Amino acid sequence: MASNTDKIVCRCEDITESEILEAIAQGAATADEVKRLTRAGMGHCQGRTCRRLVNQMLAKALGQKPEDQRPITQRAPLQPLTIKALAEYKEP
Amino acid sequence: MSAHKSDAVIIGGGIIGTACGYYLSQKGLKVAIVEQGYLCSGSTGRCIGGIRQQFSSSGSIRLMMESVKHFQNMEQELGTDVHWHNGGYLFLAHSPQKKQAFLSNIAVQQAAGLKDVRWVEADECREITPGMDATGLLGGSYCPSDGQAYPFAVVQGYAGKIRQSGGSIHTFSKATHILQQGGKVSGVRIESGREFSAGVVINAAGPWSRDIGQMAGIEIPVEAERHEALITEGVEYMNIPMLVDYRADGGYFQQYRHNGQFIGCYTPVPNVPGHSTDSTFEFLHQMPKRMLKLVPGLKDLKVIRQWAGSYENTPDGNPILDRTGLDGFYTVAGMCGHGFMLGPAMGRVAADLIVSGGRDLQYPEFALKRDFTQAEAMK
Repeated sequence: MASNTDKIVCRCEDITESEILEAIAQGAATADEVKRLTRAGMGHCQGRTCRRLVNQMLAKALGQKPEDQRPITQRAPLQPLTIKALAEYKEP
Repeated sequence: MSAHKSDAVIIGGGIIGTACGYYLSQKGLKVAIVEQGYLCSGSTGRCIGGIRQQFSSSGSIRLMMESVKHFQNMEQELGTDVHWHNGGYLFLAHSPQKKQAFLSNIAVQQAAGLKDVRWVEADECREITPGMDATGLLGGSYCPSDGQAYPFAVVQGYAGKIRQSGGSIHTFSKATHILQQGGKVSGVRIESGREFSAGVVINAAGPWSRDIGQMAGIEIPVEAERHEALITEGVEYMNIPMLVDYRADGGYFQQYRHNGQFIGCYTPVPNVPGHSTDSTFEFLHQMPKRMLKLVPGLKDLKVIRQWAGSYENTPDGNPILDRTGLDGFYTVAGMCGHGFMLGPAMGRVAADLIVSGGRDLQYPEFALKRDFTQAEAMK
């Protein structure tokens, strides 16, 4: 559970360092699992801020290099786009 | 490596596998789930979380009425907030044929005991869905006790209860062999070579259930089909039901009560067979077009993500819940896009079937060997 001195890792979903460590302690071994347990990376910026931090935390906890951790899957749109802008797209 | 021992091995860590595991644990069985990825990594984690009782066949309606009762009690039962909310489902009719089909389905639904489903005229559709563009709308089929929940929380809730009961969940453990001894199932071997022995094995592998059946030489008529979805940022809850527009250029979408995100999808024409999680640009601009056509006020809402996942279709659009020709080997699969909503009741019924040794077939219409020509009309 979050405490007053806890650090925010995922700013969009307000997920703290201790919540992520708790997910890892529960057995999450990949960023995809951490995301589904905590919602870190599921918010407005889709993990653009927190994904590196989550990978570092996972690597440290599991004794791996950060680059050994596959980051969460990136999907379109690369930045949030309005329903109107998308709906008005015309085939070239 | 010594074999892992349990009473039942479940192949698949989605809603079906974990619900079956939960109800079997409740009956005192020690279960082991083997999952090729992580929990919810297949179809369950890619679904949009809708829960409805409006179907055209009595079996699905009765199962879904039971599932809704489970969802209503789930927070207390599993000790976790699953974000259940009965926001209702409104199926829209823009043609006399659709209206007639919905009216006859409503009669079947009411006869099955679903009392709050009813036909609503176009004016009332507009009242139920503030801001809806009702151009060409004749009315709709509305059931206010339908709703929504959060798939990840439901699966984690079941998984937690399974572990509490002494069961185990093995992720990144892909089943490769169904083991047999003396004409009966005796367990499962996974890719690493490790064996999980048990007198009961359940195929809850969703879009991969045909492959699992083939490991025992049993034909499971389930085909994967790609469906895409998108989600928006969260905004203030607008109190509108899940809208279902079956027109060729329609779609379905709802707003999550707990965080205000809109989530939606449509069935592509023509369909896209085979398992794939690739997403397309076509969907990314088509889906917003379809949402805007029904609720123009959504125009400034921002889409934050799109993705794709598999439906696991049977020839008649109804699930398979049965024993197989191999003693002790069961199939609970082929949910046809309704696995999340059917899951809780499926798990309960499957557990009854399994502890009866395969004799207590409460839903003969979902038998493995059946006439697959009577298709579900409200897919």
